Amino acid sequence: MQKLGDFKLPQFFNYPPYFTLQPVRDTREKQVQLWKELILDYCRTQKIFVIGLEEEFPLFSNHLIESRSLSNEINLIHGAGSLSNEAREAFLSALVSEGRAEWLDRGHRKCLILWHRIQDWADILLHFVRDNGFEDSVMTVEEIRTGVESRGTVHTLTMKSKSAVVHLLPAVELHGIDRIILMRALKLLEHKGKLAIFKGTSADDEGVKFSV
Amino acid sequence: MRRRPGIGGLQTAAAARDQYRLLGENVAKLRTDLMKEQLATFRSQLEEFARKHKVFSSVMNDIRKNPTFRTQFHEMCAKVGVDPLASNKGFWAELLGIGDFYYELGVQIVEICLATRPHNGGLINLQELCALLRQKRKSDREAVSEDDCLRAISKLKILGSGFEVISVGKRKLVRSVPTELNKDHNEILELAQAQGFVTVDELERRLSWTTGRATDALDTLLDEGLAMIDDGHRDGKRRYWFPCVSSISTSVVSDI
Repeated sequence: MQKLGDFKLPQFFNYPPYFTLQPVRDTREKQVQLWKELILDYCRTQKIFVIGLEEEFPLFSNHLIESRSLSNEINLIHGAGSLSNEAREAFLSALVSEGRAEWLDRGHRKCLILWHRIQDWADILLHFVRDNGFEDSVMTVEEIRTGVESRGTVHTLTMKSKSAVVHLLPAVELHGIDRIILMRALKLLEHKGKLAIFKGTSADDEGVKFSV
Repeated sequence: MRRRPGIGGLQTAAAARDQYRLLGENVAKLRTDLMKEQLATFRSQLEEFARKHKVFSSVMNDIRKNPTFRTQFHEMCAKVGVDPLASNKGFWAELLGIGDFYYELGVQIVEICLATRPHNGGLINLQELCALLRQKRKSDREAVSEDDCLRAISKLKILGSGFEVISVGKRKLVRSVPTELNKDHNEILELAQAQGFVTVDELERRLSWTTGRATDALDTLLDEGLAMIDDGHRDGKRRYWFPCVSSISTSVVSDI
């Protein structure tokens, strides 16, 4: 089975027509479904939050297929085993329509991937606050993303047990979270009266006062 | 003096004929009864023998474990005019458990066909089906032959679910959806076996078809979910792939 780093690629990834958007509705639906799952899975395990349509992205081309067809023909358009922009946009749009992604721009060139929905991220935040006794604390946004607290928890997690990896601790989930997603989750909680966001002198030191 | 034919003579003759017939019937009945009795004795003694000496437990073992033996067993049964799979209540089936073996295969074949249908549109190559079947039956991996698959599938027909084996070129495909494939479709599938795909060009060249005929047939196969297109080539030629002839995997099932 082909792998990307430690990520196991599904079988369909090696079948060339899955890289062309299919014209027949039923077939396309199955194709889109497989790609949606693959994109979410991959982003979740690799902690990828933003996909740029025009940028290199490991899932958007399969070098195995490329090299196979290169031996037959010398030239490629977008290339065999490489998704056309149309196909990329179709798969991501399907995620957007399910609330599992959001376009970051009008031109649909950058896409935010929500393997957890904003609501779920908010719940994870609440768990994180309760688990660590931050119910009335003040933290900066950067601290939540990269802070000592979360790193400390990563450490104990690996020490404790491997089975815990299945249900990651909130702090581990939050570690390295995309800033846009974090702010959206914080605003959702602010709206519910669970916390207050206050501005610092620069964008880097926005703070949060929890009142869970 | 010559006896003149009279009513009495005719009656005597008729009576004699009746007597002969009755006698004949009696003899025939005696003979059948005797034969029936002998057969019953033979059968009960055979069963007795089988139970006593556990002959069949080793045969049963061979039947479950050894595909070559299974094929030979079927050939033997065919020669003496017995279908061991006709019913699970039959003498052989009950004694050898051969029916159960094929029913089990049948169920697993249906499961595989359903699981792979989203990918292949309900048409799967027999080889791939067998490989998946072996994967599913990990405990006796080597023990299922294509012959076994075919027998199990032929039993599935009874269910009227549209299971059928079709021959395309040298290969056999198993169909689990009621798609009607015409001669053109078959020729396309046969051609596709070489590389897994065909192009309109290739159909025109190899089969001397017109462009219209080629695209018509390909469009139908696309609509049926049996084909997928691949436009990623510089030559601009659309490739039509057929998952049923070029298996991408033998592990589709384990994902499901």
